[in-house]
Amino acid sequence: MKSVVAVAISAAFAVPALAQTPAAPPSWQQGKPAAEANSTLHPFAPHMTGRDAKELPISTLKVPAGFKVEVWADGVPEARSLALGDKGTVFVSNRNGKNVYAVVTKDGKREVKTLLTGLDAPNGIAFSKGTLFVAERGRITRYDGIEDKLDSPGEGKVVIDNLDPNRAAGHFWKYLVMGPDGKLYFNIGAPGNIVLPSYMEASVMRVDPNKGTLETVALGVRNSVGMDFNPKTKDLWFTNHGRDWLGDDKPNDTLHRVSLKGPVPNFGYPFCHQGDIADPEFGKHRSCAEFAKPAQKLGTHIAPLGMKFYHGKMFPAEYQNNIFIAMHGSWNRSTKQGYNVMRVKVDEKGNASKPMPFLTGFLQDEKADPPMWGRPVDVLVMKDGSMLVSDDYNGIIYRISYSGKK
Amino acid sequence: MILAARNAAALAAAFLFVAAAALGADIEAGRKKAETICAACHGAEGESTNPAVPSLSGQPAQFIATQLFMFREGNRKDEQMTPMAKPLSNAEMNNLAAYFAAQKPGPPRHQSKPENVAAGPALAKKFNCSQCHGPQLMGQQHIPRLAGQRYEYVRTQLLGFKAQKRFDMDGNMTAAAQLLSPEDIEILADYVAGLGAQ
Repeated sequence: MKSVVAVAISAAFAVPALAQTPAAPPSWQQGKPAAEANSTLHPFAPHMTGRDAKELPISTLKVPAGFKVEVWADGVPEARSLALGDKGTVFVSNRNGKNVYAVVTKDGKREVKTLLTGLDAPNGIAFSKGTLFVAERGRITRYDGIEDKLDSPGEGKVVIDNLDPNRAAGHFWKYLVMGPDGKLYFNIGAPGNIVLPSYMEASVMRVDPNKGTLETVALGVRNSVGMDFNPKTKDLWFTNHGRDWLGDDKPNDTLHRVSLKGPVPNFGYPFCHQGDIADPEFGKHRSCAEFAKPAQKLGTHIAPLGMKFYHGKMFPAEYQNNIFIAMHGSWNRSTKQGYNVMRVKVDEKGNASKPMPFLTGFLQDEKADPPMWGRPVDVLVMKDGSMLVSDDYNGIIYRISYSGKK
Repeated sequence: MILAARNAAALAAAFLFVAAAALGADIEAGRKKAETICAACHGAEGESTNPAVPSLSGQPAQFIATQLFMFREGNRKDEQMTPMAKPLSNAEMNNLAAYFAAQKPGPPRHQSKPENVAAGPALAKKFNCSQCHGPQLMGQQHIPRLAGQRYEYVRTQLLGFKAQKRFDMDGNMTAAAQLLSPEDIEILADYVAGLGAQ
């Protein structure tokens, strides 16, 4: 009798529970609260076939007085990360596509060559001493002497493999930079919006391309898609994307500084955001006081991507050692902001100022869907001190130069 | 109410046309190309008469251009479409996309079973279809319109996503399809194929 009742009760509970099990949402909706169930916010995808610069409101782009912005190259599908070769080749990566492109300038004309094909989300590229390194979803490869082989680069040699064994949806693309120590620095993103990462996820790592040695550089980093080294202090700086679905005004996306001489910092994800906001779900397990703080808050959901310290000779003195950051968002905000390039001043002690707009005009209507006509992804300082900015939404690369007073 | 919705759809279609024209994609060039290389399978003005071949009329331009790009680059593979996309330039893809986006979709060519018409809306919500494809499953930006899409084509795509064999730009459809039973797929394909443009 007792067992019959038990079965009856469990059946009564189990059946409706199964019937009501909600289907897992798309990964970008993971962590969306019930109160936001009817939100129409969604990420934006690039025009993979690119758009002709002549069809776009390029003349509405704004830079400070004395500066000029122009189209440097178009027809570079989904132009993502940028890297500069010693001989002047500009390498351009893909995230949704499979290619790496080489833009070469001959007799003042730019030619876009499809350099590498068939790669797996090859978002990260870095050039060092004649070699192009490429970070795909699950591996990093090297192409030695690449600028002498732009028409027949051959197969890459593997530096490290098996970086993405789970192939989870989420932040699987990588950024890649060469450190002053000869090691390659890259991110392993969190496999979702707000999830407990497993070993090595939500981190910044480095690998020695000669020995293959892998080391952890920073933990508790949701997803960094932009890094550079302060040429003065040799510190690593990187951008980080905060979690989605905490509302329009929190949390901030952040800028971080890591001394390579100190211990490995933990910046708090998924327990703590922007150094001082406890996560509504995970925050009860750990305190924000335990974690390292960001160097600067950059704006909520603004999606900082590529960043570079400026140490070229063209821009005025005030811009020296500024960090230029490409803002690719926001999408997870009812009133959009960003879609610009900002700069942050860094003082002698390494303190970072609040971000200031530098290149604006992509954001047309902060309430529209889509709100923008272009999206900055990465910045690159050229040998003459001018700056390139990639735009994956249109497949365009812009050039910013200065001809005013110094 | 229905009239208002139709007016809104007409306005939206007009806006799409203006937007595409304003961006300079050449609709007339797209039409000529489409008549040469697309119409034999996808039908005149993108209205497919074959249930296994998708209709392209009124699909979002960004969706069409993106899929053509993915066929050409080998991300999405198909015996028919891969060679068709191979010789197309990005500009030609944009023209085709602008042309098909500007075509008014005709009434659905599929008659859904009454029981699936009844079950469909709840399933579309439960499995998050409407989150990306929109409340009326009309698609947006790079995401296709499902309303009125050909039955067998939708069914084949869903089975492909479930088998993790269908190209997927960001992993969302593969993840979503893992939760679908074969019965769910039958119901959803039959339901969406009979929906009119709203």
